[in-house]
Amino acid sequence: MAGALLGTRIRENRKALQLSQKDLAQAAGLSASYLNLIEHNKRGIAGKTLNAIARALQIDPTDLTEGMNQALLDRVRTAAMRNNQLRTERDRIEEFAARFPGFARLIARQSDQIDVRDEQFAILSDQLKHDPYFAEAMHLLLSNITTIRATSDILATNSDMPPAMSQKFIANLAAEAAKLSKTAEDIFDHFEPTAEEHVSSLDMSAFEVLLEQNRYYLETLENGDQSVDDILNNLKLSDDDIDATRASLHSYAEMAQHLPIEPFIATAKKVNFDAIALAETFSTDLMAICFRLAHLPTKPDLPTFGLIQSDASGAVLYRKQLNSFSLPRYGGACPLWPVYRSLSQPLQPIRAMLDMPMGDRFHTISFAYPTQPARIGMPAVTEAIMLFTPDYAMLPRVAHDQTPQLDVGLQCTVCSRMDCSARREAYLLTNK
Amino acid sequence: MQKRISIIEDEPFIIEALSFLLEREGFAVSSISDGADALTFITTSPPDLLILDIMLPNVSGMKILEDIRKTSGIEKLPVLMLTAKGQKKDRLAAEQAGVSLFMTKPFSNTELIANVHEMLQG
Repeated sequence: MAGALLGTRIRENRKALQLSQKDLAQAAGLSASYLNLIEHNKRGIAGKTLNAIARALQIDPTDLTEGMNQALLDRVRTAAMRNNQLRTERDRIEEFAARFPGFARLIARQSDQIDVRDEQFAILSDQLKHDPYFAEAMHLLLSNITTIRATSDILATNSDMPPAMSQKFIANLAAEAAKLSKTAEDIFDHFEPTAEEHVSSLDMSAFEVLLEQNRYYLETLENGDQSVDDILNNLKLSDDDIDATRASLHSYAEMAQHLPIEPFIATAKKVNFDAIALAETFSTDLMAICFRLAHLPTKPDLPTFGLIQSDASGAVLYRKQLNSFSLPRYGGACPLWPVYRSLSQPLQPIRAMLDMPMGDRFHTISFAYPTQPARIGMPAVTEAIMLFTPDYAMLPRVAHDQTPQLDVGLQCTVCSRMDCSARREAYLLTNK
Repeated sequence: MQKRISIIEDEPFIIEALSFLLEREGFAVSSISDGADALTFITTSPPDLLILDIMLPNVSGMKILEDIRKTSGIEKLPVLMLTAKGQKKDRLAAEQAGVSLFMTKPFSNTELIANVHEMLQG
Protein backbone atom coordinates (compact mmCIF):
# COMPACT_ATOMS: atom_id res chain seq x y z
CA MET A 1 0.00 0.00 0.00
CA ALA A 2 2.75 2.40 0.97
CA GLY A 3 4.60 1.65 -2.25
CA ALA A 4 1.48 2.38 -4.22
CA LEU A 5 1.32 5.87 -2.74
CA LEU A 6 4.79 6.68 -3.94
CA GLY A 7 3.52 6.56 -7.54
CA THR A 8 0.62 8.82 -6.69
CA ARG A 9 3.00 11.32 -5.17
CA ILE A 10 5.24 11.32 -8.25
CA ARG A 11 2.22 11.99 -10.44
CA GLU A 12 1.05 14.89 -8.24
CA ASN A 13 4.50 16.47 -8.21
CA ARG A 14 4.82 16.11 -12.00
CA LYS A 15 1.44 17.78 -12.53
CA ALA A 16 2.41 20.59 -10.18
CA LEU A 17 5.37 21.30 -12.44
CA GLN A 18 3.09 21.04 -15.53
CA LEU A 19 5.28 18.31 -17.00
CA SER A 20 3.99 15.55 -19.22
CA GLN A 21 4.81 11.93 -18.44
CA LYS A 22 7.04 11.96 -21.49
CA ASP A 23 8.97 15.05 -20.27
CA LEU A 24 9.56 13.57 -16.81
CA ALA A 25 10.48 10.14 -18.18
CA GLN A 26 13.04 11.75 -20.44
CA ALA A 27 14.50 13.91 -17.66
CA ALA A 28 14.79 10.88 -15.37
CA GLY A 29 16.17 8.60 -18.08
CA LEU A 30 13.20 6.23 -18.08
CA SER A 31 10.76 5.08 -20.70
CA ALA A 32 7.37 6.85 -20.63
CA SER A 33 5.57 3.51 -20.37
CA TYR A 34 7.64 2.48 -17.32
CA LEU A 35 6.93 5.84 -15.67
CA ASN A 36 3.24 5.31 -16.40
CA LEU A 37 3.34 1.99 -14.57
CA ILE A 38 5.18 3.63 -11.64
CA GLU A 39 2.71 6.51 -11.44
CA HIS A 40 -0.21 4.09 -11.43
CA ASN A 41 1.38 2.27 -8.53
CA LYS A 42 2.01 -0.87 -10.55
CA ARG A 43 5.77 -0.85 -10.07
CA GLY A 44 7.69 -0.17 -6.91
CA ILE A 45 10.89 1.84 -7.12
CA ALA A 46 13.79 2.71 -4.88
CA GLY A 47 17.43 3.80 -4.96
CA LYS A 48 18.77 4.98 -8.29
CA THR A 49 15.40 5.29 -10.09
CA LEU A 50 13.82 7.11 -7.15
CA ASN A 51 16.75 9.53 -6.97
CA ALA A 52 16.57 10.20 -10.71
CA ILE A 53 12.83 10.97 -10.60
CA ALA A 54 13.25 13.18 -7.53
CA ARG A 55 16.08 15.06 -9.22
CA ALA A 56 13.93 15.59 -12.31
CA LEU A 57 11.10 16.85 -10.10
CA GLN A 58 13.55 19.17 -8.29
CA ILE A 59 12.66 17.79 -4.91
CA ASP A 60 14.36 15.74 -2.24
CA PRO A 61 13.82 11.95 -2.54
CA THR A 62 12.50 11.97 1.04
CA ASP A 63 9.67 14.23 -0.13
CA LEU A 64 8.54 11.28 -2.20
CA THR A 65 9.19 8.58 0.39
CA GLU A 66 8.07 10.39 3.52
CA GLY A 67 4.47 9.50 2.87
CA MET A 68 5.54 6.01 3.85
CA ASN A 69 6.89 7.30 7.14
CA GLN A 70 4.54 5.91 9.76
CA ALA A 71 5.62 8.51 12.32
CA LEU A 72 4.50 11.33 10.01
CA LEU A 73 1.17 9.60 9.35
CA ASP A 74 0.65 9.18 13.09
CA ARG A 75 1.36 12.86 13.72
CA VAL A 76 -1.12 13.95 11.03
CA ARG A 77 -3.67 11.50 12.48
CA THR A 78 -3.13 13.02 15.93
CA ALA A 79 -3.71 16.49 14.45
CA ALA A 80 -6.93 15.27 12.79
CA MET A 81 -8.19 13.75 16.03
CA ARG A 82 -7.41 16.89 18.01
CA ASN A 83 -10.62 18.47 16.79
CA ASN A 84 -13.66 16.21 16.62
CA GLN A 85 -15.98 18.95 15.46
CA LEU A 86 -14.31 19.31 12.09
CA ARG A 87 -14.92 16.43 9.75
CA THR A 88 -11.58 15.29 8.41
CA GLU A 89 -11.04 12.51 5.90
CA ARG A 90 -9.20 10.32 8.38
CA ASP A 91 -9.45 7.27 6.16
CA ARG A 92 -7.49 9.13 3.49
CA ILE A 93 -4.58 10.41 5.58
CA GLU A 94 -2.06 8.21 3.79
CA GLU A 95 -3.25 9.44 0.44
CA PHE A 96 -3.15 13.04 1.67
CA ALA A 97 0.40 12.67 2.97
CA ALA A 98 1.38 11.00 -0.28
CA ARG A 99 -0.03 13.76 -2.43
CA PHE A 100 1.00 16.71 -0.28
CA PRO A 101 4.03 15.75 1.82
CA GLY A 102 4.89 19.39 2.49
CA PHE A 103 1.43 20.16 3.87
CA ALA A 104 1.45 16.90 5.83
CA ARG A 105 4.73 17.91 7.46
CA LEU A 106 3.33 21.38 8.16
CA ILE A 107 0.23 19.93 9.87
CA ALA A 108 2.38 17.48 11.83
CA ARG A 109 4.73 20.26 12.94
CA GLN A 110 1.88 22.55 13.95
CA SER A 111 0.32 19.71 15.91
CA ASP A 112 3.64 19.12 17.68
CA GLN A 113 3.86 22.84 18.45
CA ILE A 114 0.39 22.74 19.98
CA ASP A 115 1.60 19.91 22.25
CA VAL A 116 4.61 21.98 23.31
CA ARG A 117 2.43 25.04 23.95
CA ASP A 118 -0.02 22.94 25.99
CA GLU A 119 2.85 21.69 28.09
CA GLN A 120 4.22 25.21 28.58
CA PHE A 121 0.76 26.42 29.48
CA ALA A 122 0.42 23.68 32.12
CA ILE A 123 3.81 24.63 33.58
CA LEU A 124 2.95 28.35 33.66
CA SER A 125 -0.38 27.59 35.22
CA ASP A 126 1.36 25.56 37.89
CA GLN A 127 3.84 28.38 38.49
CA LEU A 128 0.95 30.80 38.91
CA LYS A 129 -0.50 28.56 41.62
CA HIS A 130 2.86 28.68 43.39
CA ASP A 131 3.28 32.43 43.00
CA PRO A 132 3.32 33.86 46.55
CA TYR A 133 2.63 37.37 45.26
CA PHE A 134 -0.52 36.18 43.55
CA ALA A 135 -1.69 34.33 46.67
CA GLU A 136 -1.11 37.38 48.86
CA ALA A 137 -2.82 39.67 46.34
CA MET A 138 -5.86 37.38 46.16
CA HIS A 139 -6.09 37.43 49.94
CA LEU A 140 -6.06 41.23 49.93
CA LEU A 141 -8.67 41.33 47.16
CA LEU A 142 -10.97 39.08 49.20
CA SER A 143 -10.45 41.24 52.29
CA ASN A 144 -11.30 44.40 50.29
CA ILE A 145 -14.39 42.75 48.83
CA THR A 146 -15.50 41.49 52.25
CA THR A 147 -15.37 44.99 53.72
CA ILE A 148 -17.20 46.47 50.74
CA ARG A 149 -19.89 43.81 50.81
CA ALA A 150 -20.50 44.00 54.57
CA THR A 151 -20.48 47.83 54.60
CA SER A 152 -22.68 48.34 51.55
CA ASP A 153 -25.15 45.78 52.92
CA ILE A 154 -25.33 47.72 56.20
CA LEU A 155 -26.00 50.97 54.29
CA ALA A 156 -28.63 49.34 52.10
CA THR A 157 -30.56 47.73 54.96
CA ASN A 158 -30.35 50.45 57.63
CA SER A 159 -31.98 53.55 56.17
CA ASP A 160 -32.82 54.85 59.68
CA MET A 161 -29.14 54.99 60.67
CA PRO A 162 -27.98 58.32 62.19
CA PRO A 163 -26.45 60.53 59.47
CA ALA A 164 -23.03 60.70 61.16
CA MET A 165 -22.84 56.91 61.24
CA SER A 166 -23.96 56.46 57.64
CA GLN A 167 -21.36 59.10 56.59
CA LYS A 168 -18.71 57.08 58.41
CA PHE A 169 -19.68 53.87 56.58
CA ILE A 170 -19.79 55.70 53.24
CA ALA A 171 -16.26 57.01 53.93
CA ASN A 172 -15.15 53.44 54.79
CA LEU A 173 -16.68 52.23 51.56
CA ALA A 174 -14.85 54.88 49.51
CA ALA A 175 -11.52 54.13 51.23
CA GLU A 176 -11.91 50.38 50.72
CA ALA A 177 -12.88 50.86 47.06
CA ALA A 178 -9.69 52.92 46.58
CA LYS A 179 -7.66 50.08 48.20
CA LEU A 180 -9.35 47.57 45.93
CA SER A 181 -8.42 49.55 42.86
CA LYS A 182 -4.81 49.88 44.10
CA THR A 183 -4.60 46.11 44.65
CA ALA A 184 -5.99 45.50 41.16
CA GLU A 185 -3.40 47.88 39.64
CA ASP A 186 -0.59 46.18 41.58
CA ILE A 187 -1.69 42.79 40.28
CA PHE A 188 -1.81 44.12 36.73
CA ASP A 189 1.71 45.58 37.08
CA HIS A 190 3.01 42.34 38.55
CA PHE A 191 1.77 40.29 35.64
CA GLU A 192 2.82 42.69 32.90
CA PRO A 193 5.61 40.65 31.37
CA THR A 194 9.08 42.03 30.88
CA ALA A 195 11.60 40.51 28.49
CA GLU A 196 13.55 39.18 31.45
CA GLU A 197 10.50 37.50 32.96
CA HIS A 198 9.77 35.82 29.65
CA VAL A 199 13.14 34.14 29.84
CA SER A 200 12.92 33.14 33.48
CA SER A 201 9.32 31.93 33.51
CA LEU A 202 10.25 28.74 31.74
CA ASP A 203 13.70 28.50 33.19
CA MET A 204 13.21 25.08 34.73
CA SER A 205 15.50 22.14 34.28
CA ALA A 206 14.18 19.21 32.27
CA PHE A 207 14.31 17.06 35.43
CA GLU A 208 12.32 19.65 37.37
CA VAL A 209 9.67 19.72 34.64
CA LEU A 210 9.52 15.90 34.68
CA LEU A 211 9.11 15.85 38.48
CA GLU A 212 6.43 18.54 38.45
CA GLN A 213 4.50 16.70 35.75
CA ASN A 214 4.66 13.51 37.83
CA ARG A 215 3.96 15.21 41.16
CA TYR A 216 7.47 14.37 42.34
CA TYR A 217 6.95 10.61 42.19
CA LEU A 218 8.40 8.72 39.20
CA GLU A 219 6.31 5.57 39.48
CA THR A 220 7.69 3.75 36.45
CA LEU A 221 11.26 4.27 37.65
CA GLU A 222 10.32 3.20 41.17
CA ASN A 223 8.66 -0.05 40.09
CA GLY A 224 11.23 -0.90 37.42
CA ASP A 225 8.85 -0.53 34.46
CA GLN A 226 11.25 2.00 32.96
CA SER A 227 14.99 2.48 33.26
CA VAL A 228 16.77 5.82 33.41
CA ASP A 229 17.59 5.45 29.70
CA ASP A 230 13.94 4.64 28.82
CA ILE A 231 12.81 7.85 30.50
CA LEU A 232 15.61 9.85 28.89
CA ASN A 233 14.70 8.53 25.43
CA ASN A 234 11.07 9.59 25.89
CA LEU A 235 12.06 13.09 26.95
CA LYS A 236 13.73 14.04 23.63
CA LEU A 237 16.17 16.41 25.31
CA SER A 238 18.82 18.64 23.81
CA ASP A 239 22.42 17.51 24.22
CA ASP A 240 22.91 20.19 26.86
CA ASP A 241 20.14 18.77 29.03
CA ILE A 242 20.84 15.06 28.67
CA ASP A 243 23.82 14.71 31.01
CA ALA A 244 22.32 16.75 33.84
CA THR A 245 18.98 14.97 33.57
CA ARG A 246 20.64 11.53 33.47
CA ALA A 247 22.59 12.34 36.65
CA SER A 248 19.43 13.54 38.40
CA LEU A 249 17.48 10.46 37.31
CA HIS A 250 20.28 8.20 38.59
CA SER A 251 20.15 9.97 41.97
CA TYR A 252 16.40 9.39 42.06
CA ALA A 253 16.84 5.72 41.10
CA GLU A 254 19.45 5.28 43.86
CA MET A 255 17.03 6.76 46.40
CA ALA A 256 14.27 4.41 45.20
CA GLN A 257 16.64 1.44 45.45
CA HIS A 258 18.02 2.43 48.85
CA LEU A 259 14.57 3.00 50.37
CA PRO A 260 12.02 1.03 48.28
CA ILE A 261 8.66 2.72 48.41
CA GLU A 262 6.34 0.00 49.74
CA PRO A 263 8.34 -1.07 52.82
CA PHE A 264 9.21 2.57 53.40
CA ILE A 265 5.55 3.66 53.49
CA ALA A 266 4.60 0.71 55.72
CA THR A 267 7.31 1.67 58.24
CA ALA A 268 6.61 5.39 57.91
CA LYS A 269 2.97 4.83 58.84
CA LYS A 270 4.06 2.99 62.01
CA VAL A 271 6.14 5.97 63.17
CA ASN A 272 3.67 8.60 61.93
CA PHE A 273 6.04 9.83 59.22
CA ASP A 274 8.54 11.18 61.73
CA ALA A 275 11.78 11.66 59.79
CA ILE A 276 14.06 11.26 62.81
CA ALA A 277 12.41 7.99 63.87
CA LEU A 278 12.64 6.73 60.27
CA ALA A 279 16.36 7.51 60.08
CA GLU A 280 16.86 5.42 63.22
CA THR A 281 14.65 2.57 61.98
CA PHE A 282 16.36 2.36 58.59
CA SER A 283 19.82 3.07 60.05
CA THR A 284 20.40 5.70 57.46
CA ASP A 285 21.08 9.41 57.42
CA LEU A 286 18.36 11.99 57.90
CA MET A 287 19.02 13.55 54.51
CA ALA A 288 18.15 10.31 52.68
CA ILE A 289 14.93 10.03 54.70
CA CYS A 290 13.98 13.65 53.97
CA PHE A 291 14.47 13.16 50.24
CA ARG A 292 12.42 9.94 50.33
CA LEU A 293 9.59 11.68 52.23
CA ALA A 294 9.58 14.48 49.65
CA HIS A 295 9.05 11.91 46.88
CA LEU A 296 6.03 9.89 47.95
CA PRO A 297 3.01 9.09 45.80
CA THR A 298 0.09 11.50 46.19
CA LYS A 299 -2.50 9.69 48.31
CA PRO A 300 -4.97 10.86 50.95
CA ASP A 301 -3.39 8.69 53.66
CA LEU A 302 0.09 10.09 53.03
CA PRO A 303 1.21 13.53 54.17
CA THR A 304 2.59 15.94 51.57
CA PHE A 305 6.15 17.06 52.11
CA GLY A 306 8.11 19.86 50.44
CA LEU A 307 11.85 20.24 50.57
CA ILE A 308 14.53 22.84 50.01
CA GLN A 309 18.25 22.11 49.81
CA SER A 310 20.63 25.04 49.90
CA ASP A 311 24.32 25.73 50.24
CA ALA A 312 25.86 28.00 52.84
CA SER A 313 25.30 31.08 50.66
CA GLY A 314 21.58 30.40 50.53
CA ALA A 315 21.69 29.35 46.87
CA VAL A 316 18.97 26.80 46.16
CA LEU A 317 20.36 23.44 45.06
CA TYR A 318 17.10 21.48 44.96
CA ARG A 319 13.54 22.32 45.76
CA LYS A 320 10.12 20.79 45.91
CA GLN A 321 7.59 23.48 46.63
CA LEU A 322 3.98 23.11 47.72
CA ASN A 323 1.03 25.23 46.65
CA SER A 324 0.97 26.97 50.01
CA PHE A 325 4.75 27.12 50.47
CA SER A 326 6.55 28.47 47.45
CA LEU A 327 10.30 28.39 47.32
CA PRO A 328 12.56 30.83 45.53
CA ARG A 329 14.71 29.47 42.73
CA TYR A 330 17.68 31.75 43.27
CA GLY A 331 17.72 32.58 46.98
CA GLY A 332 15.91 35.56 48.48
CA ALA A 333 13.77 33.50 50.85
CA CYS A 334 12.86 34.49 54.40
CA PRO A 335 16.13 34.56 56.39
CA LEU A 336 14.27 33.37 59.49
CA TRP A 337 13.71 29.90 58.07
CA PRO A 338 15.41 27.32 60.31
CA VAL A 339 17.22 25.82 57.31
CA TYR A 340 19.62 28.78 57.47
CA ARG A 341 20.05 28.51 61.25
CA SER A 342 20.92 24.84 60.85
CA LEU A 343 24.03 25.85 58.87
CA SER A 344 25.53 27.15 62.12
CA GLN A 345 24.73 23.86 63.89
CA PRO A 346 25.76 21.12 61.46
CA LEU A 347 24.50 17.58 62.13
CA GLN A 348 21.99 18.87 64.69
CA PRO A 349 18.40 18.44 63.42
CA ILE A 350 16.14 21.41 64.24
CA ARG A 351 12.40 21.01 64.52
CA ALA A 352 10.20 24.09 64.17
CA MET A 353 6.57 24.94 63.49
CA LEU A 354 6.47 27.79 60.97
CA ASP A 355 3.56 30.23 61.07
CA MET A 356 3.15 32.09 57.79
CA PRO A 357 1.57 35.58 57.58
CA MET A 358 -1.43 34.15 55.73
CA GLY A 359 -2.17 31.66 58.49
CA ASP A 360 -0.59 28.54 56.98
CA ARG A 361 1.36 26.36 59.40
CA PHE A 362 4.12 23.92 58.59
CA HIS A 363 6.09 21.41 60.62
CA THR A 364 9.74 21.52 59.56
CA ILE A 365 12.92 19.58 60.17
CA SER A 366 16.14 21.29 59.13
CA PHE A 367 19.52 19.67 59.04
CA ALA A 368 22.97 20.78 57.84
CA TYR A 369 25.76 18.42 56.87
CA PRO A 370 29.31 18.89 55.63
CA THR A 371 29.95 17.77 52.06
CA GLN A 372 33.69 18.41 52.35
CA PRO A 373 35.59 18.42 55.65
CA ALA A 374 37.61 21.46 56.63
CA ARG A 375 41.21 21.49 55.51
CA ILE A 376 44.09 23.78 56.41
CA GLY A 377 43.20 27.17 54.99
CA MET A 378 39.83 25.95 53.70
CA PRO A 379 36.56 25.87 55.64
CA ALA A 380 34.27 22.85 55.53
CA VAL A 381 31.70 22.97 52.72
CA THR A 382 28.26 22.65 54.22
CA GLU A 383 24.79 22.19 52.75
CA ALA A 384 21.43 22.19 54.48
CA ILE A 385 17.96 20.83 53.86
CA MET A 386 14.57 21.68 55.27
CA LEU A 387 11.69 19.22 55.01
CA PHE A 388 8.27 20.77 55.57
CA THR A 389 4.67 19.65 55.66
CA PRO A 390 1.31 21.32 56.16
CA ASP A 391 -0.07 17.90 57.23
CA TYR A 392 1.53 18.11 60.66
CA ALA A 393 -1.56 16.58 62.23
CA MET A 394 -0.50 13.24 60.70
CA LEU A 395 2.88 13.42 62.47
CA PRO A 396 3.35 12.28 66.09
CA ARG A 397 1.72 14.83 68.36
CA VAL A 398 5.01 15.47 70.16
CA ALA A 399 6.58 16.45 66.82
CA HIS A 400 4.35 19.48 66.41
CA ASP A 401 2.68 20.14 69.72
CA GLN A 402 5.92 20.66 71.63
CA THR A 403 7.91 22.13 68.80
CA PRO A 404 9.15 25.74 68.96
CA GLN A 405 6.96 28.04 66.90
CA LEU A 406 8.44 30.62 64.54
CA ASP A 407 6.68 33.52 62.80
CA VAL A 408 8.22 33.64 59.36
CA GLY A 409 7.28 34.52 55.77
CA LEU A 410 8.06 33.37 52.25
CA GLN A 411 9.89 36.40 50.86
CA CYS A 412 10.02 39.99 52.11
CA THR A 413 8.18 41.34 49.07
CA VAL A 414 5.08 39.29 49.85
CA CYS A 415 5.32 39.28 53.65
CA SER A 416 2.94 41.47 55.62
CA ARG A 417 4.96 41.31 58.86
CA MET A 418 5.85 44.99 58.64
CA ASP A 419 7.84 45.15 61.89
CA CYS A 420 10.08 42.18 61.10
CA SER A 421 13.69 42.93 62.04
CA ALA A 422 14.93 40.63 59.27
CA ARG A 423 13.19 42.63 56.51
CA ARG A 424 15.53 43.60 53.68
CA GLU A 425 13.00 44.55 50.97
CA ALA A 426 9.74 46.47 51.08
CA TYR A 427 6.38 44.71 51.03
CA LEU A 428 5.02 45.06 47.49
CA LEU A 429 1.37 45.24 48.46
CA THR A 430 1.29 48.34 50.59
CA ASN A 431 -2.49 48.30 50.74
CA LYS A 432 -2.72 47.09 54.35
CA MET B 1 -28.08 39.52 80.45
CA GLN B 2 -26.29 41.09 77.50
CA LYS B 3 -24.03 38.58 75.71
CA ARG B 4 -20.46 39.61 74.96
CA ILE B 5 -18.71 39.02 71.66
CA SER B 6 -15.02 39.66 71.01
CA ILE B 7 -13.52 40.17 67.57
CA ILE B 8 -9.87 39.60 66.63
CA GLU B 9 -9.46 40.96 63.13
CA ASP B 10 -6.77 43.12 61.55
CA GLU B 11 -9.01 45.00 59.07
CA PRO B 12 -10.41 48.05 60.92
CA PHE B 13 -13.34 48.52 58.52
CA ILE B 14 -14.40 44.90 58.95
CA ILE B 15 -14.28 45.42 62.73
CA GLU B 16 -16.49 48.50 62.33
CA ALA B 17 -18.99 46.67 60.16
CA LEU B 18 -19.09 43.62 62.44
CA SER B 19 -19.40 45.78 65.56
CA PHE B 20 -22.34 47.68 64.05
CA LEU B 21 -24.11 44.47 63.02
CA LEU B 22 -23.60 42.77 66.39
CA GLU B 23 -24.44 45.82 68.52
CA ARG B 24 -27.64 46.26 66.49
CA GLU B 25 -28.53 42.73 67.62
CA GLY B 26 -28.00 43.72 71.25
CA PHE B 27 -24.54 42.24 71.89
CA ALA B 28 -21.69 43.97 73.70
CA VAL B 29 -18.73 44.00 71.33
CA SER B 30 -14.99 44.39 71.97
CA SER B 31 -12.14 44.02 69.50
CA ILE B 32 -8.39 43.95 68.96
CA SER B 33 -6.38 43.73 65.75
CA ASP B 34 -3.06 42.17 66.82
CA GLY B 35 -2.70 38.42 67.35
CA ALA B 36 0.06 38.89 69.93
CA ASP B 37 -2.35 40.39 72.48
CA ALA B 38 -5.08 37.83 71.85
CA LEU B 39 -4.76 35.51 74.83
CA THR B 40 -4.48 38.32 77.39
CA PHE B 41 -7.45 40.05 75.73
CA ILE B 42 -9.62 36.94 76.01
CA THR B 43 -8.56 35.73 79.45
CA THR B 44 -8.89 39.18 81.06
CA SER B 45 -12.58 39.32 80.27
CA PRO B 46 -13.76 36.09 78.61
CA PRO B 47 -16.52 36.74 76.06
CA ASP B 48 -19.45 34.45 75.26
CA LEU B 49 -18.25 34.08 71.68
CA LEU B 50 -15.09 34.93 69.75
CA ILE B 51 -14.94 35.94 66.09
CA LEU B 52 -11.40 35.21 64.94
CA ASP B 53 -9.57 35.95 61.68
CA ILE B 54 -6.88 33.47 60.57
CA MET B 55 -4.43 35.92 59.06
CA LEU B 56 -3.31 38.29 61.78
CA PRO B 57 -0.17 40.27 62.49
CA ASN B 58 2.38 38.51 64.72
CA VAL B 59 0.43 35.38 65.74
CA SER B 60 -1.89 33.50 63.40
CA GLY B 61 -5.52 32.87 64.24
CA MET B 62 -4.88 29.13 64.07
CA LYS B 63 -2.24 29.37 66.81
CA ILE B 64 -4.58 31.52 68.93
CA LEU B 65 -7.30 28.91 68.56
CA GLU B 66 -4.92 26.14 69.64
CA ASP B 67 -3.85 28.20 72.66
CA ILE B 68 -7.48 28.86 73.62
CA ARG B 69 -8.25 25.14 73.58
CA LYS B 70 -5.30 24.52 75.92
CA THR B 71 -6.05 27.33 78.35
CA SER B 72 -8.07 26.47 81.40
CA GLY B 73 -11.21 28.56 81.79
CA ILE B 74 -11.58 29.47 78.12
CA GLU B 75 -11.01 26.06 76.54
CA LYS B 76 -14.69 25.71 75.63
CA LEU B 77 -15.16 29.24 74.27
CA PRO B 78 -17.25 29.15 71.05
CA VAL B 79 -15.00 30.36 68.23
CA LEU B 80 -16.30 31.49 64.83
CA MET B 81 -13.39 31.65 62.42
CA LEU B 82 -13.47 34.08 59.52
CA THR B 83 -10.96 33.81 56.76
CA ALA B 84 -10.36 34.82 53.19
CA LYS B 85 -8.76 31.44 52.71
CA GLY B 86 -11.52 29.02 51.88
CA GLN B 87 -9.37 26.07 50.98
CA LYS B 88 -10.37 22.66 52.23
CA LYS B 89 -7.11 22.15 54.09
CA ASP B 90 -7.60 25.38 56.07
CA ARG B 91 -11.04 24.24 57.07
CA LEU B 92 -9.64 20.83 58.12
CA ALA B 93 -6.79 22.45 60.08
CA ALA B 94 -9.29 24.71 61.84
CA GLU B 95 -11.51 21.75 62.66
CA GLN B 96 -8.56 19.82 64.05
CA ALA B 97 -7.63 22.82 66.15
CA GLY B 98 -11.15 22.84 67.59
CA VAL B 99 -13.03 25.58 65.73
CA SER B 100 -16.76 25.80 66.47
CA LEU B 101 -17.72 27.26 63.09
CA PHE B 102 -15.77 28.29 60.02
CA MET B 103 -16.96 31.00 57.59
CA THR B 104 -15.14 32.26 54.51
CA LYS B 105 -14.85 35.88 53.42
CA PRO B 106 -16.68 37.52 51.79
CA PHE B 107 -19.58 36.53 54.04
CA SER B 108 -23.23 37.52 54.06
CA ASN B 109 -24.18 39.72 57.02
CA THR B 110 -27.48 37.88 57.46
CA GLU B 111 -25.78 34.50 57.50
CA LEU B 112 -23.15 35.68 59.96
CA ILE B 113 -25.73 37.05 62.39
CA ALA B 114 -27.82 33.88 62.10
CA ASN B 115 -24.74 31.78 62.88
CA VAL B 116 -23.83 33.92 65.89
CA HIS B 117 -27.35 33.55 67.34
CA GLU B 118 -27.30 29.82 66.77
CA MET B 119 -23.88 29.40 68.39
CA LEU B 120 -24.91 31.37 71.47
CA GLN B 121 -28.10 29.37 71.88
CA GLY B 122 -26.20 26.06 71.64
